[in-house]
This record gives sequence, structure tokens and C-alpha cells, in this order.
Amino acid sequence: MSATSDLDRVTAIVLQLMRGPILVLLCVYAIGISGMALMPGVDADGNPTRMNLFHAFYFFTYTATTTGFGEIPFTFTDEQRLWATVCLYMGVVAWLYAISSIIRLALHPELLRAIAERRFARSVRRISEPFFILCGFGDTGSLLARGLSDQMIRAAVLDMDTERIKALRLRDYRVNMPGLCADASIPRHLMDAGVQHPQCRAVVVLTGSDEVNLKIAVMTRFLNPALRIICRDTDASHRELLATVGEVTLVSPFEVFAQQLDAAIYTPVLRAWEDWLVGDHAIDLEDPVRPPRGNWVLCGYGRMGRALHAKLRAHSSEISVIDRNEGLPLSGGKRILGHVDRNTLADANLADAVGLVAGTSNDQENLRILLSARAINPDAFLIVRQNHHENELAFNAADANLIMQPSLVLARHILLFLLMPSLGGLLRYLHSDAPHEVEGLVRRARERLPRGAPLLWSEEIGALDCVVPGCRERLPDVRVADLLRDPARRDAQLDALPLVVTRDGEATMLPDDDMVMLPGDVLLLCGTRRARHRLHATLRNPYTLHFLTTGEDPPRSWFFQWLCRRIGAPRALPAAR
Amino acid sequence: MNLERVVFGFFIILALALNLGFVAGEIDNPAHHSPWLLFSALIIGLITSGLKLGDRSQLGALVLAASLVANLLLMIAVSVWAVAEGGLDEAISPGLIVAIVSLGYGALAANVVSVAVLVSDTLMSRQ
Repeated sequence: MSATSDLDRVTAIVLQLMRGPILVLLCVYAIGISGMALMPGVDADGNPTRMNLFHAFYFFTYTATTTGFGEIPFTFTDEQRLWATVCLYMGVVAWLYAISSIIRLALHPELLRAIAERRFARSVRRISEPFFILCGFGDTGSLLARGLSDQMIRAAVLDMDTERIKALRLRDYRVNMPGLCADASIPRHLMDAGVQHPQCRAVVVLTGSDEVNLKIAVMTRFLNPALRIICRDTDASHRELLATVGEVTLVSPFEVFAQQLDAAIYTPVLRAWEDWLVGDHAIDLEDPVRPPRGNWVLCGYGRMGRALHAKLRAHSSEISVIDRNEGLPLSGGKRILGHVDRNTLADANLADAVGLVAGTSNDQENLRILLSARAINPDAFLIVRQNHHENELAFNAADANLIMQPSLVLARHILLFLLMPSLGGLLRYLHSDAPHEVEGLVRRARERLPRGAPLLWSEEIGALDCVVPGCRERLPDVRVADLLRDPARRDAQLDALPLVVTRDGEATMLPDDDMVMLPGDVLLLCGTRRARHRLHATLRNPYTLHFLTTGEDPPRSWFFQWLCRRIGAPRALPAAR
Repeated sequence: MNLERVVFGFFIILALALNLGFVAGEIDNPAHHSPWLLFSALIIGLITSGLKLGDRSQLGALVLAASLVANLLLMIAVSVWAVAEGGLDEAISPGLIVAIVSLGYGALAANVVSVAVLVSDTLMSRQ
């Protein structure tokens, strides 16, 4: 038995549903046409005649479809009129039956699904630029798609829920995001989504179920062993299973947040700069949010509580934990078993603590904890976890110092990972190796870039050759600073800051202005849209590049090159600058 | 300021001006259209194309293409005039002058494109 393709399925459905109506139409037409041709008639002069088969077919066609042009070619006899009546009723009934079958066919769920799959697979096949596959279009998935769309990057979306896919179609993305309502753990759907497409860069697995996530990871690994897989991390047993798949990047919103909170407490400037880079417009670089150092109270010891506890413990803060479940941490600070209320909060020494984290998985509970905490210690730094996007208004009104939305944290983190792998390297470098460079970097960013969130982009340096004859040898090295000159005024700089240069997989962090660029280098920059546009144009116009590096404007056409050689100024025409 | 730009700009704008001078007037009145203007517009156009040969930038290629189109149309116009009435005679039938001036309008459009590209290139690049 051979495998059936989508086309076979569609054909089978059409044939099955249309066989009846087509047979009925054929019979009715045959009877009507032959009857009409057999009925005796008269021509215009009153001589007996009969309709020929073509005229009979023509008459039946316009009668059966209720068009009714009249009695053509000659006025009918009574016998012909009698048969015409029979034709009319037969034909109309047969057509009604056929039309209802066509409508039923058009609404057939199996057919609709087959068509949607074909259309999805076709639009994915046609993608010619790098794209990603998103499995699961929940809160995180849609935030991620929004972020990708802002960068004009496409994604193929798979989700089980029809409503989510309908919502996807209604979004006003800047690029087309093909979506299919299907189970992503079925290999056929992964293939449709482009798992083996040469431009597919990664699969992001964000469905709500660990089982499904694991299945998708396994299937993807088999279908395309080289593809990067990014998976939402949940519990430990699941993590073990995923580790056997190999090369799966697990991201947990809670660990990311714990890391961010830790950075916010101990390196607030760097933390603020990081947020500013990834497009948080509300960040004030001069005066970032500074969560205090000291004793903290953790309400809820679930995944978020564990991650925060592990991270904050490393800096030896005293942490009191309140949770009603067993399994509290064994070390560091107080452990209180029970509901979070005034008594337990007082037991946890909230009055002396610098801050509190309301981190349960229940939004009402978290808001209630905020109220009780504020009554006991109005000065405490309050961090609250918001689990559901639809509760946003209530959380904004609650006036906490920091709101943690797992879906937002996760989406931002994955986006950064997908778009700017080298930026992750830079941030790690700044966190661990060179925290002292942060102040200078922030100062330079403030000097060079206008206020507001900058644009982050990476620019590939193509062939740096020079079209000017005899110039390739002489062209001095192209330095970073040369590329960043403004083509309109050579002395001025574009509003852009080079962050990382990647050469043959080796990254150079914070390149200085004299670094020499080579063909194939990838430059990560932050700056304005105008700077990006100008730099892009410079790299694609060898004349501009030559002008920026040397300050000379060489002759372009053969005639002027000849003229220059004649008058002995081979590099540039005498110019009155 | 760059000598190459000055020289090239001079020729391309001169070609446009001559072309406009030729087509101006009533379209079917041979007295309004001088064969000398047509001829000089063609010569200047050819020089312009020659000057642009060798420029490998995108906009240079566009200007070259536009000026080649203008030359082609003007050359057809000149040939029609020369062949139809025997030499570039000023006594020409109104029917024929309409065809020639129409070709001249086509060349004018191409010349306008090249001047527009040149101006935008100059504005966009250095000051």
C-alpha cells in the first residue's frame, strides 16, 4: 500500500461527494435532450420539422438552469411545450441537488483541513529568507511572533487550538506568518511547517503539555538532526528525558527571571542597559530600578520560588519562605508552612525584610499577598508574579515595584536568543569578565545614541573590494570607524555603536574603532534606523566605501579614468573642496 | 565639488534642454520643430552615454540605461526624417512630423528620468 498524499485525499473526497450529482445530471440531460429532439415541431412556414440535437441541448441548458430564453428557433408545438415542462422540472430539481452537493463539499471538514494543510505547506515552501517554526501559539508564542514580526522575520506557526490559529490570522503582522491548526507532534505537520526547509533556523516548542513538547523535540531531531531546538522548560523528570534528545536548549522563565532579579540587585546599571538594548522604552538609564539588598520574603515555593531561592542564596541573603506545601528548602532563613496571611507574614519577619516576592501560580492569591504585605511593611520592595495576560489591568493598578510575567520574560529571552546569539555572548562577557566596562559603555551609548530604545541589528560585511582600478592593492584597511562614518559628512559619525564582531565563529566584544574589518565578518550594532540604512547602503556601494576609507572620490567612468591618467592624477580629479 | 559630476551633469542637462526645445510647439506644425535641434540633442545624448560607460554603481547603470533609451528614440526619429523625405528637409508633411515629435517626447521622458536619478543621487550622497 502506498502512502496517500494530500492531493489524493482531496481528489477522493471530491469524487466521493460529487459522483451522485454528476450521474443524476448526466441522466436528466440525456433524457431531456433526446425527448426534445424527438418531439414533432413546425418551422416558420408551418412545415413539420424536429429540433436537432444541438438545439435540443441548447434549449435544455437554458431551461434546466432556469434562464429561459424562450422558444428558439421556432415557436413550439403543444407536444414540444409538454416536453419542455417536463424538462424544466427535471432539470431544476437535478441542479438543486447538484448545487447542494457542491455546497456540502465546500463545507466538508476533511476537505477544508486538507486544503488548509496544502496552502500552509505551500506558503512555507515559498519562504526564501531565514524563518523559525513556532509550535504552540499561547501567550508566549504570540509575544514571540510579535517580536519576530517587528524584525521582519517570518515564522510558521502550529497550534492544536483552532481559536488560536484564527487569532493568528487576525493579527496585523508586518510579515506573513503562515499558521496551521494541527498537532505539531505528528511528523507530517512538522514537515509541512518546514522542518527540512534549508532556511529553517530553529524550532521553538512552547505547547502547554510536556508530553507533546518532548514528542515534538524527538520528531524534529529525527527529521533534521542539525536543527536547533528551543523548548520551554518545566519539571525535572521532563528535563532528563529531553537531555537524551540531545542539543535541546531549555529555557525556563523562572530561571531567567531569577537571574535578572539577581543582576538587578547586584549590577543594576548593566541590568538596565540590557533591558534598554532589547527595546524596553520605559527604562531610565540614569536611574534604573534598584531592588534593595538584604532579607527577602518568598511567598510560594513552586518553580519560581525555587529558582529565586537558589539564586539569592548564593549572595547569602536571608530568605524566609512561606508555602502551604511540604518540601520547603532546608537551609537559609525561616521556613513557614501554611497560607500567606498576616500571621505567617509576621512570622517571616516581613517588618524587617527589604522586599517580598508574591510568586504563587494563582493571580488572585498574589494580589492578596501584596495587600497584606503592604499593611505590614509599606516600605518593602514588592515583586509580584502575573500568570495570566488578561489580568494585566489589575496588576498595573496594584502598584507593585516589579511585575514578573513568565510569558513576557520567556518570549523576550527566546527572541534575544534567536535574533542576536552574539548579544547573549556580550551580556555574559559583561556579567562575568568585565563588569567595569559597563559604566563606560553606557556613557558612550548615551553620548552617541539619541534617547529612546535603540535598534539592534547585525550587519554582514560582504566583499570589501574596491571597484576603482589599481586601487585594490592600495586601499588601506577598512576600520570599524570608517564604516561608521556618515556618507553625507565624512567627519561625522553615524548614530551607531558597534557591540560585537564575529569572525569565523570567534567573537570580539566591544571592538574599538581601529579594529580592521575583513570580508565575512558579522558586526552587531545598536543605533538608529537612519544609521542602519546608511551603513547598509555604504556596504553595498564600493564608491561610498572607498570615499569613507580614503576621503577620495575616484573617477567612475572610463573616460574620466583615462583623463585622470593623462593629467597625472590617477586617484582623483582635482577638486575644489 | 567634483569635476566628473560637473561635466556629466552639464551634458545630461544639456541633452534634456535640447530635447525639450525640439518637441516644444504644435505637434503637427513642421515650422515649430527644427531638425538642427533634433540632431544636436542626439549628438549630446550620445556623448552623455559615452561619459557614463564604466560606472559600476547602481545609479550609474540606471542613468546609462535611460540615456541609451533616449538615444535610441532620437536615432529612430532622425532616420525617419532622413529616409522619408530625402534628407533632413524642413518641408515635411504634418503626418510625418507628428510621428517624429512623438518619438522626441519619448526621448524626453527618458532624459527626465536620468536627470531625476542624477539629482537624487547627488542629494543622497555627499554634500
